[in-house]
Order: sequence, then structure tokens, then C-alpha cells
Amino acid sequence: MSLLELKNVSKIYGPLKALDNVNLQVENGEWLAIMGPSGSGKSTMMNIIGCMDKPSLGEVILDGVDIAKESGKKLTEIRRDKIGLIFQQFHLVNYLTAVENVMVSQYYHSMPDEKEALEALERVGLKDRAKHLPSQLSGGEQQRVCIARALINHPEIVLADEPTGNLDEANENIVIDLFRQLHREGTTLIVVTHDPEVAEVAQRTVVLEHGRLVKEIMNESFET
Amino acid sequence: MKKQTMFLRMITASLLRRRSRMLVALLAIAVGATILSGLVTIYYDVPRQMGEQFRSYGANMIFTSSNGGTLSEEALNQAKEQIKENQLVGFAPYRYENITVNERPMMAAATDFDGAAKTSPYWRIDGSWPSQPGEALVGKETAQTLALNTGDKVTLTFDLDKKPATADEAANAERNQNNREFSVVGILDTGGNEEKYIFISTEDMEGLTGKSDSFDMAELSVSASQNELKSYADSISKKTDGVSARLVKRVTQSENTVLSKLQALVLLVTVIVLLLTMICVATTMMAVVTERRKEVGLRKALGASNRSIIVEFMGEGLLLGGIGGLLGSLCGFIFAQAVSMNVFNSSIQFHWLLIPVTVLVSVLVTGLSCLLPVRSATDVDPALVLKGE
Amino acid sequence: MFFRMIKGALFRQKSKMIMIAVTIALGSSLATAMLNIMLDVGDKVNQELKAYGANITVVPKENSVLDSLYDLDDGSETAAAHLKEEDLGKIKTIFWGFNILDFTPFVNTAVTLSDGSTAKLTGTWFNHHLALNTGEELDAGIHSLRSWWEIKNGQWLDEQKESIPANGALIGSALAERLGVNTGDTIEVKTAKGSQSLQIAGIYDAGGDEDEQLFTLLPVAQELAVAKGLIDSIEVSALTTPDNELARKAATKGPAALSPADYETWYCTAYVSSICYQIQEAIPDSVASAVRQVAESEGTILDKTQLLMILITILSLFGSALGISNLVTASVMERSNEIGLLKAIGARDYRISGIVLTEIMITAVVGGVAGYFMGYGFAQIIGHTVFASSIEMKPMVIPLVAVLIVIVTLAGSIPAIRMLLRLRPAEVLHGR
Repeated sequence: MSLLELKNVSKIYGPLKALDNVNLQVENGEWLAIMGPSGSGKSTMMNIIGCMDKPSLGEVILDGVDIAKESGKKLTEIRRDKIGLIFQQFHLVNYLTAVENVMVSQYYHSMPDEKEALEALERVGLKDRAKHLPSQLSGGEQQRVCIARALINHPEIVLADEPTGNLDEANENIVIDLFRQLHREGTTLIVVTHDPEVAEVAQRTVVLEHGRLVKEIMNESFET
Repeated sequence: MKKQTMFLRMITASLLRRRSRMLVALLAIAVGATILSGLVTIYYDVPRQMGEQFRSYGANMIFTSSNGGTLSEEALNQAKEQIKENQLVGFAPYRYENITVNERPMMAAATDFDGAAKTSPYWRIDGSWPSQPGEALVGKETAQTLALNTGDKVTLTFDLDKKPATADEAANAERNQNNREFSVVGILDTGGNEEKYIFISTEDMEGLTGKSDSFDMAELSVSASQNELKSYADSISKKTDGVSARLVKRVTQSENTVLSKLQALVLLVTVIVLLLTMICVATTMMAVVTERRKEVGLRKALGASNRSIIVEFMGEGLLLGGIGGLLGSLCGFIFAQAVSMNVFNSSIQFHWLLIPVTVLVSVLVTGLSCLLPVRSATDVDPALVLKGE
Repeated sequence: MFFRMIKGALFRQKSKMIMIAVTIALGSSLATAMLNIMLDVGDKVNQELKAYGANITVVPKENSVLDSLYDLDDGSETAAAHLKEEDLGKIKTIFWGFNILDFTPFVNTAVTLSDGSTAKLTGTWFNHHLALNTGEELDAGIHSLRSWWEIKNGQWLDEQKESIPANGALIGSALAERLGVNTGDTIEVKTAKGSQSLQIAGIYDAGGDEDEQLFTLLPVAQELAVAKGLIDSIEVSALTTPDNELARKAATKGPAALSPADYETWYCTAYVSSICYQIQEAIPDSVASAVRQVAESEGTILDKTQLLMILITILSLFGSALGISNLVTASVMERSNEIGLLKAIGARDYRISGIVLTEIMITAVVGGVAGYFMGYGFAQIIGHTVFASSIEMKPMVIPLVAVLIVIVTLAGSIPAIRMLLRLRPAEVLHGR
């Protein structure tokens, strides 16, 4: 059984169909890129997969549960337990240090553990920046804190929304290398992007246009 | 690490690292709390402080003899002691005797000048109060009649037989009389009947008349409400033999009227100022919290339940409210004290109970004004908040 | 474009701008109400203090010094001087005539009662209607000068009521008890000049010496004591300004000792001494003196009340100023993104400040005007609840409040704008 399955999912805002009858399966450990120009429905899809929104029609089965039928409160719990989010704008709490930002995620999930949080920062190469505030970190460093935060609770799926949108090329490469490492460790990765370079490194890429899945590309040269 | 520790760590980080914003909020709360504790302290102290000012109208209670005779010092003291010491502003016993000055009938009054200065603060004296034996204070009218000025000497004559002299006797000076010379140290201007008397000390009067320990009445200035005064008067009249205590209605009744208006004024002003200040505090808190909608969205995206977000923000707000409330109680006390020293020249009575009340009100106002924007922020979809750059 | 941006900010951020306007309105209403009350509290409390009765007494120049003591003792008439009843109206014509709230004449005499004892009888006005030469009409009498009297039985005398008999009298509670008389009874009183029967219209409790007296209509007492048209003394209740250095100087050294400029200031200020002086000018052969007990204390209480209100006003002004500037600061800070964006697209600092300030000032003006009228309401609520009369709205409060609001709003926004302008646009946009 797939880890995540979208069956005939549609999202309708008034006359506009942001998602139109989308079907998609994501296997455990897979690295999927969702591509498309702006306005294609990427964000809507990301919100639905990230349990931040519900489809108007269809089923979204995550780990055997149809999240389209769950209440808002339950969705919050699923998001907390199963999903790690990475944002384009990083969204770090600006008055908390790097390690505290990671711990916030632990706090809502289970128990804050500073040692574990420091280890997560070490994994993204930021051990010596742990006590810095977001304003003292570069964009790339902030995004790495964000990745560490997404990973800390061992989520089923790491969901990244334009993770390199605000980064220069050097930092982009660091982030992509981190994704490779995560993939090797068996993490399921879904990256939403409009950047073909970021999509290329993924195992599989699906292309959205006007709310429909129009293309699916398997990356031939994908190396594990 | 415990969950509570992280909770505290987040709250303190928010308070300490977002310094400028938090100072704005803290300032707002502290100002509100200052006004609360300052004005309420003043409100409670106004009757006492203002009441003391009203003592400038003079005696509000008099003791007279209940049997038509005279009052002994012992009876007076016994009656006086029934009044709480801190409420008794002044006490002056009076004794009146008919005397003559150059065969002219006059009225001499004996009193304790220290007491009279307190019971009749409105007396205006040209010269000085008598302080030595043999010194007299002469009422303005009498001074005019007798053409007396400060520094002059006047001889008071007391007739022991209490009979006006016949022309014969006067000529032969065969009368049973006491004569004493007094120096006039002050002329008394009151605009009232006192201007007709010659005031001397009790001891001098005893020397002049040869009779001691007999007073006609006593004036008291008591800092108390009309009801309290009434119960004092009743219990003194009942408990003390020979003494009948009465209120000077003109003073007590009028004081009651004016003072209750003043207190109502301060009360209304306090209520309105407080109401408006609390709304100001609330709007500021709302502005400060509304600014953090994005953070609320992020926390939700990270899996925080609405409840835990509200608890965190409230925790922060309550901590702010507590600190602001404490600061405000202190500033309010300083303000009330400054007002009291400036207006009444006396220190204020501080109600310690006001500190917890102020802190509690600050906490409540802050908490409620945080709750509204946080609740509305948690209602919003996290996705929308996070996207809305 | 400038105006379009401002319009956009005002209307699209409606709820935020409304919140700022409401806060400014609250602050300005507080300032308006407190300033008006502060400026009017002196007059209001002064009126209340009239409860203590007359603050000026007028007696004839050549009055016998000892009448009140010795008239009572031997019942004999000293050849006392008198004032004329016809001069009474002149009190209202002096420079400060408007400040004369009430006055009443007195004729005092000792009378012998039917049981042989003596008592003091006073003739006075109760609610006398007076038409002045100037065409002004007024009612004057003792009623408001004895506000503490409690009529225990019967009613106040009133010349203007037909039901009151021409020989009506009020009797003190102590005397009534001694004589065993009640309302409706008549008592016989006798003096050297004749006798009269008085009908008791009421019994009063004055809580003092007056409880041993009788009060009757002026003509009755004049007939028994002196002669028609003559009076012994006048009590006057006047609104006065608390004494200061100048007034004290005039009172002790006499107005002649003042320099011409000082004299003018003194004469044209409602000090109790200058009002006394003017009464003496108006009424021939009279001496007007301040009742120290009332006049002096009035000054103390007025000064204290005013000072108290000034300090409370300062505190509340300070509070509303901080409240407003705080909120303005908070709301400007909130707009860091917008300001960063404007900078990023190349707006000059002064343009950004101009936009933000104009928006806030427009909001402030709207809030301030609304607040003024709210404050008017609050002041009137307080006036009517406490003093049962409206608070006079002084025009000078308007510029005061306006200046306060402008200063406070600027003080709240400028530091915040400067702080945000100092930030680099990129930092702001990246949400640091």
C-alpha cells in the first residue's frame, strides 16, 4: 500500500478549480517533486497534503487514514505526528534561537529534548550556530534550521514548499545535498517547486497545469 | 527537559528578545495599573484628607454642662478620652466671666491657647498668640472700644461680689475686687462674636477670680464623619456625668454635604478615567498581539493545537500583566503620595490590598485583550497566514 | 498617487485604523472631560460651600460693641446705630453684584415671654421679593443662609406665600421645648415698645445657640424693636476668590496702601475683602467684614480641591498620552513589511514618513473630534450627577486638546518610523 494516495481530488473556490480530479500515489521512501508554473495549483496541493486544507471532492489517504474526512483538530494532530514542513520563507520564530526553534516542534509533538535538537542541528551542519537568533543567520542557515525542525519528530513525510526559492546557488546546493542525504536515510520527500533544477534531482517529477496533472517524469539518471 | 520548562523558556524569550514591542506593551499596562492604584488610593484617602481640611471651619462638637452648672477638668478629660486620639484635631475648654475694664462691663474668656489655635484655625491675629502668663488676646471690637493696640497694658477687674459698683464704692475703692494687669500681645479678627471678648489663659483666670476648675464649655474639632460624630456625642452624653456633648450642626451638616459631593466627584472621575485607560491598554495589547498572526499560523502548521497556542499567549500576557501591575502599583503609590504631599502636606495611607487587586486587574485586562486577537488568529487557516506575505 | 496610497491604507486597513481612531478618541475625550471639570470645579465647589452660610456681615459703623451680650442680659436698648432697609438692594449693584448669591437683613431684640423669661427675637427676610432700581428682580432671604437648619415640625416661612400669617414665626427647638409650644400655637412677646402675639409656623433644629431663639418676619420685629425701615445687620453670601498675597495686604494695611495698579487688580477681583469694600461703598455708614470662619476655610478647601483635580487631570492626561502614543508606536511597528517594501521599490525616507504620518494624522483628527464630543458627554454626566448642574465647556480646552493629540500622535509615530527606516529593506522583507 502507498504511504499517500490522492484519489480524484478536486479543490473548488467558487468558479475556479484549483485542483481538478487529481490522482497521485507516493510510496514510502520516495522523493517526489511537484512542478508547475504559479497558479497551477501547487500551493493548494501542498496545503492538502500538509493537512492544512481539505479537498472539496475526493479522498486523501495518508498512512491508511482518509484525511479529507477528519476534523480540524484531528488534522492538527496528523500534521504534528506525520508531517515535517519546510517553507520558502523559512518561518522561524524570530525571538527564539536556532535550537529553540527546533525544540518548539518537539514541544508540540511530545517532549522537548535539547540534546536531540542539537543533534538535528549537527546533521544540517549548524551545531556551532545553535544559540543564534534567526536574524543572526544567513538565509541558507535559516533554511537548514527549518529542515532540522522538520526532521526532529521523524515524520512520515517531509513536505517542502519552494525550499530554495529565497536562496542563492551555493545554499541551494547545500539544501539539495541535505535532501539527498535524507532520501538515502529513507525519508519520504515531497518538494513543491517551479525550479526545474530542483525538480531534476528528484526521483520522480509530476507537472501540474491548471489544476490537472499533465505529465509524470521518472528521473533516469537518479542515483541513490 | 520538561514541557513546562520549554513553555517558560518560550515565554521569557518572547518577552526578553522582542524588547521594543514588549516594552510598548509593558508600558501600556504599567500606565494603566498606575492610574488604577493611584486614583483608587486617592479616592479612599480623600474623605480623610479632605475631612482634615474641613477642620479649618473650626469646632464641630461642643461639650456643655448637662445640669446647668460648670464643668470640671476631670469630667472634660474623661469625655475627651472617649474620642480616638488620631481623630481629635483640637480641644479647647472655655470659661467666661463678666469683668470690668475701667468700670466698663466686659466679657473675659479663658482658654488653652494651643487648643484654641487648633479648634479655630480661622482666627486671624494681628500680633501673636499669648504664651506667657499675664498676656491677653483682645477681640477687634473690644480693642476698638477700649482703644487698645498690641503692646498696650490693660487692667482687668473681677468683682468677687458680682455686683456692679455704686458710684460711692467706686470712688472709695472699698470693694472686694481682684485687679490684674495684662499686656495685649494680639488683636483677634474673626468677623464673629469672638471679637467682643478678651482672651486670657486659664491660669490667669484662676488668679483673677480665685476660682479654679470650672469651665462653661469646651470646643472640639474632630476629624470624623457625621454619623461617627453623632455616635460619639451620644455615648459621651450617656457615659460621662455632667457632660452633654452636642454637634455644631452648621459645621457637621455642611461638611457632610460638601464632602460627599467631593467624594462622588473623585469616584466618577476615577471610574471614567479607569474605564478609558483600560480600553487603551486593551487596544495596545491587541495591536501587539495582532502583529503576531503569522507566528500563530506557524505554530499551527508545526502541529500546535489551538488550546496550546492560546495557553502560550495567555501565559505571556499574564506574565506581562503581572509585571506591569506590580510596576504600576508602585508608581501609583508614588503618584498618590506626591499628590498627597502637594495638596494636603501629609503622607497618604496606602492600602496594601490594592497591590494584589491592581495586579489581578492588570492580569485580567491583559489576558482578555490578548485572548481576542489570539482566538481570531487561531481561527485562520495556517496555510493562509503563512502564504500571506 | 500619494493620496491614493493613503486612501488605500485608510480604507483597506479599516479595522486597524478604527482601533487607532477609537483609542485617540478615548484619550481626547478623557482630556476634554478632565480639563473642563478641572477648570470648572472651583466654581462648582464654591457653590457647594455656600452651605456654610454667609461669609460677610454688614453692621452699622457706630454700632455698640456689646449689644449681643448685654441686650440679652438686661433687656435694655442701647442707643445703637442702624442701617436702612431701603439700602439693601444696593448690595446687588456693586461691581461684583453678580457674585452676591443671597443676603438677608436682621433686626435683633430681646423679648419677654409670657412666663417672664427672656429670649432673643430676630426679624429677617425668608423669601423676600425685591425689585431693584435697575429693573432687576430677585428673591432674597435667610433660607439658603441656614442650609443646616432642620425644620422638625411645620414649615419655612415665606413672604410670597399667601397662607403665611403676617405674625408668623419660627421657634428654636430648645426654646419650643422649654415653653412647651407646638406648631400652630401662638405666643405673646413683649418689649419696651409694645407687645405682639406670634403664630408658630415651624420648629427648627439649628444645633447651636439659635435653638434658643425666635425668628419672625422683618416688619414684626422692626415694630417691636426699632422702627420701620431700620435694620441692625445684614448677612451676605458671596462667591469669592481665595485670598492671595495681594488680598492679605489689602486686608491688613487697607486698600489705600496699595499702588494704583494693585488697587485696580484688587478691586476687580472677587476677594472677600474687595467685596466687603464695595458693600461699604454702596451702603452708607456701614462696616462689612468677612466672617473668617467661612471665608478663610472656603479658600483652603477651594485651593485644595483645585490642586487635587489638577494633579488627577495631569495623571489622566499623562495616561491617555502614553496610551495613544503606545498604540501608534505598536501599529507603526506592525507595518515594518510595508515600509520595507516601499523602501525596496525606491521610495525616499521622507515620502514614506509622509505617507505614514498623514494616515495617522487623519485618523487622529477623526478620533480627536469624536473624542471631544464624547468628553463633553462625560463632563456633563459628572456635572449633573455630582453637582446637579452642567459643566461649562471652556473654549480654551479645544486648542489644548488639539495640541495634545497632535504632539502625542507625532511622539508616538516618529520614533517608530525612524526605527523602521533605519532597517535595511531586505531584512525587513525577510521577516527578521
